[in-house]
Amino acid sequence: MKISYEWLGDFVDLEGVTPKDAAEILTRLGIEVDSLTVVDLSQIIIGKVLEQKPHPKSRNPLWIHQVDLGDHVEQIIAGAPNAGAGSLVPVALPGTTVPSGKLVKDMNIAGFTARGMMASADELMLGDDHSGIMVLERGTPGEPLTTVIPSQAIIEAEILSNRPDEMGHLGIARELAVGLDRPMKHDFMPSFTGSADPPGKDLIKVTVDDPELCSRFIGAVIKGVKVGPSPDWMQRRLRACGVRPINNIVDITNYVLLEYAQPMHAYDLARLKGPAIHVRRARDGEKLLSLDGVVRDLTSDMLVIADAERPVGIAGVMGGEETAVTDSTVDILLESANFDGPSIRQTSRALGLRTEASARFERNLPPELALAGARRGASLIAELAGGTVHREWSDVYPRPQQPVRVILRPELIDSVLGVHVPLEEAESILKRLNFHVKVMGDGEWDVLPPVFRLDVSIGEDLVEEVGRVYGYDRVPPTLPGRRHDRWTPISPSTDRRLDEPREVLAGAGYTEAWNPALVSGKRLEELRIAAHAMRVLNPLSDDMDTLRTSLLPSLIDVVALNRDRGRVDVRTYEIASSYLANVGEKNTQPEEPLRLAAITTAGVTAQEGRAAFYRLKSVLDGCIAALAAPACTYQRAATQLFHPGRCAAVVLEGRQLGHIGELHPAVVSGSRLEGRLVAFEIDVQPVLDASRIPRAQPLPRFPAVERDLAVVVEDTVAAGAILGSIKELAGDLLEGVKAFDEYRGTQVPEGHKSIAFALTFRSPERTLTDAEVDRVMAEIRLGLEKRHGARFRE
Amino acid sequence: MNDPSALTAEALAATGKAQTPQELDQLENDYLGRKSGRVSKLLEGIGGLGPDERAALGKAVNEAKRTIEAALAARRAELDSARIADLAETEAIDITFPGPPLERGHIHVLTQVRRQIETVLESLGYQVEQGPEVETEWYNFEALNITAGHPARENWDSFYFSPELLLRAHTSPVQIRAMQRIKEPPIYIITPGRCYRRDAPEATRLPYFSQVEGLAVDKGLTVGDMKGTLLYMIQSLYGPDRKVRVRPSYFPFTEPSFEFDVTCGICGGMGCKSCRHKGWLEVGGCGMVHPQVLRNGGIDPTQWNGYAWGFGIERMAMLKHDVDDIRLFYESDLRFLEQF
Repeated sequence: MKISYEWLGDFVDLEGVTPKDAAEILTRLGIEVDSLTVVDLSQIIIGKVLEQKPHPKSRNPLWIHQVDLGDHVEQIIAGAPNAGAGSLVPVALPGTTVPSGKLVKDMNIAGFTARGMMASADELMLGDDHSGIMVLERGTPGEPLTTVIPSQAIIEAEILSNRPDEMGHLGIARELAVGLDRPMKHDFMPSFTGSADPPGKDLIKVTVDDPELCSRFIGAVIKGVKVGPSPDWMQRRLRACGVRPINNIVDITNYVLLEYAQPMHAYDLARLKGPAIHVRRARDGEKLLSLDGVVRDLTSDMLVIADAERPVGIAGVMGGEETAVTDSTVDILLESANFDGPSIRQTSRALGLRTEASARFERNLPPELALAGARRGASLIAELAGGTVHREWSDVYPRPQQPVRVILRPELIDSVLGVHVPLEEAESILKRLNFHVKVMGDGEWDVLPPVFRLDVSIGEDLVEEVGRVYGYDRVPPTLPGRRHDRWTPISPSTDRRLDEPREVLAGAGYTEAWNPALVSGKRLEELRIAAHAMRVLNPLSDDMDTLRTSLLPSLIDVVALNRDRGRVDVRTYEIASSYLANVGEKNTQPEEPLRLAAITTAGVTAQEGRAAFYRLKSVLDGCIAALAAPACTYQRAATQLFHPGRCAAVVLEGRQLGHIGELHPAVVSGSRLEGRLVAFEIDVQPVLDASRIPRAQPLPRFPAVERDLAVVVEDTVAAGAILGSIKELAGDLLEGVKAFDEYRGTQVPEGHKSIAFALTFRSPERTLTDAEVDRVMAEIRLGLEKRHGARFRE
Repeated sequence: MNDPSALTAEALAATGKAQTPQELDQLENDYLGRKSGRVSKLLEGIGGLGPDERAALGKAVNEAKRTIEAALAARRAELDSARIADLAETEAIDITFPGPPLERGHIHVLTQVRRQIETVLESLGYQVEQGPEVETEWYNFEALNITAGHPARENWDSFYFSPELLLRAHTSPVQIRAMQRIKEPPIYIITPGRCYRRDAPEATRLPYFSQVEGLAVDKGLTVGDMKGTLLYMIQSLYGPDRKVRVRPSYFPFTEPSFEFDVTCGICGGMGCKSCRHKGWLEVGGCGMVHPQVLRNGGIDPTQWNGYAWGFGIERMAMLKHDVDDIRLFYESDLRFLEQF
């Protein structure tokens, strides 16, 4: 909200308080100041135009003015013709900088000197009008402009959603007064009531048909107004707050809104049928031409203000065009009402129409504010538009505001804040905030909040009031520490445990990514992994409408993005949840298994893809080993995203964790990528669950015997199967066996391959002899021959 | 030659002239080789000598061996120290030539910051708690005192899957779940995790982001305790010079409620361009847990009270590493990720 510093001065004495001081005090009290714009007018002086003549030579139309500056006259050239002889204008002499930032210089335009500039409202930052020179209503030539217009400061602040009373200058000033410990100049409730006969309530009948949505409706009848422009000071303040002046009546309703936070509306009484007012729900199919010129389709969820025949306004949002105040309006009905916040928000959203009024009603204004606003508005109209205000307004108040009482144990203040606030100080703070405090016999306080505060209902709310005025800077920081007889021992978080595989991946050259969990549902469907996908009902866009069921599409996108940006080799991984809906049970929370997925680019050849597969397999084994889990096994598998011949299920202790493999060529080309991609994705939790604390093994005391074995088998025999057989056949003396080479070519028959294994034999009790190992090797050869049809190469 | 002393003299002269360890090895083999070395050969025909001569020759030969061995060792040491003395010239390399690339991957900057935050708070005894990202309306809103139609709801515009199910807008639901699970205070937890709000992506906010919230429930906790905890956390993360201030604010789930700010790291609180001349940078929200929220978590507010706070991990990382666009964290451009 934009706050005019000048306006605040109407309510609290700002002597010695700079706009910056005010901004700091407000921030400390909970009104967060975003920005402060100071408009310094002290360098601008008032001039009176004595003569205006067109420039005889200039190609563009220009006017030459002789301007009286009190003690001398200057020649000033301007492009706008509106400052005729006799006009009072703001003048900036050479060497001064106007508020908009322009430095004024001596000029010579086509042979005529120009000594200074006559400023527009825009250049003085007093409004957005840059069409002509600002013409003043009054002032003395030679005097500073500040004698008629004070220097301005606009404070842009965030108002907390529980403090709609601060959405007007009066509420802000009230806070400032408390912060400054100065009195308010005015009472909250103006005394003006109107006195003309007959009673206003006899001139129009007001009915509230839906008291749930409208707790109060005040309608004041004011006759014989003269519609015209509002005074300068009012227009200036409205502009400063971002509101465009229209005419005195409309400006006054806006002015009261910006002052009291109470939205108002003025109807042309002559155009109200009846004349009567019904506050009711719209009937389906009803339409209204609203003030912004749009025909609005209304529904029965929406509250409207209607006359005897039709809606004339959308309650709390915007009035209707047909009953609006115009230049020919003479009699008006001034509305000041209170509407249900959630209903106003819903209507405003449904219509896509957020107004100053709806922004305030949404937050639940106190109904008592309606009367204060009505009185302020009526008195301003009487004063500035010459209307006659009738006495006894219609005031339909079906649900009167109930006073709230809060019982406070004053000890609560110190015990919550952690600092000693003397009771007298606490009581004084509450009283300055307009709370009524009664100290009861048992020491408890019976506290009555002011009518404009609906946000206070429990003791803690009062503690907050005391605390923010006392000053939280005065609360010393401490760390909690007590003697406990109960505690929860700390254990490493899942994410910290996963730092182990992160280190493995970093060592292997993989960089971690954090990708959005919301992805394109269409993409998941194309990849045929959308069966368990959760779709957002109200997505921001198509590419973020579904929760991902796999991390792999995101990683493919990372490759694509980095390829686009010139990177050829990409290795990346992510640790994050995927989301799997329980199909058929719509309202249950999905499974959110935590996954680890990694991807690497490879060259275009099958051989490069194969090599990358084995490298990535080592990385995966390394990750699992880093978590101190048992080694996993790999079983041939086929799944949508992977190459049919190059995919394995990753199995740990009989449980499938996920897959590793080369991505399916269709998936790669579908992502407009070249070359091969190799990736894995596994569930992490089973690995964490299988993690064991490593137990130290005694170091071997006897030397090992190493033997290599080159096994020639048919292409279809898996290395894993031969490894299994070797382990079985070798017996206890085999310490370990690894496959380290695979060969196809001239040395082996067509359709066959040679796999080289390195075997390590060791006995924990003695040094093995060559003869012993030879016997075992012979057993192995025999067994492999029988089981796999193996031959052996030297 | 079969005179031990003459042979010794010859060997010593040769040793003195040797310039390389290889030459010394050759000399050692020539003179001292076990079978064919020239010193051993002095003993050829010793069988034909009388006992006294035998003893004398044996002694002389042993003497020669020891002398030559000692000379060889001394010369070796000499050559070695000369070699070491010359290393600066003989083996000098161009130390300005760059090493081969390590090709080590990088851990995401948000993981790093999250890890730092967890470490700092674990040192105060806070335990990490996790919860589901797809939450129920009750845990995300109602339990936190944000009833339907509450004016504050617009701050948590959310993604829905059904009227009851949505993506959590904050990690606060984990606080409720933790209270329900732990039941008996003291409770000291932090809840790092992903959150979602229906805000269009821009430089300062994204519809997806990560939060860490903290919750302490104990006896007699105060605003001062909350301030101290935040100060400890901020100073541990950003350095002991930083200050923290709390400003009154409003959240339905805390009373009193605050925003907390940290002094700008560039100007130290004096005010500069990067803090928009405020001297302070907004970090997150905090407050004393609302009694109704404690009740919703199954905790008796007449026995216990608490404080809670929350902030975005991205925000912390942006402050720490001068990142000016939050989207960089989730865009996965390796040129960005490799900077950390």
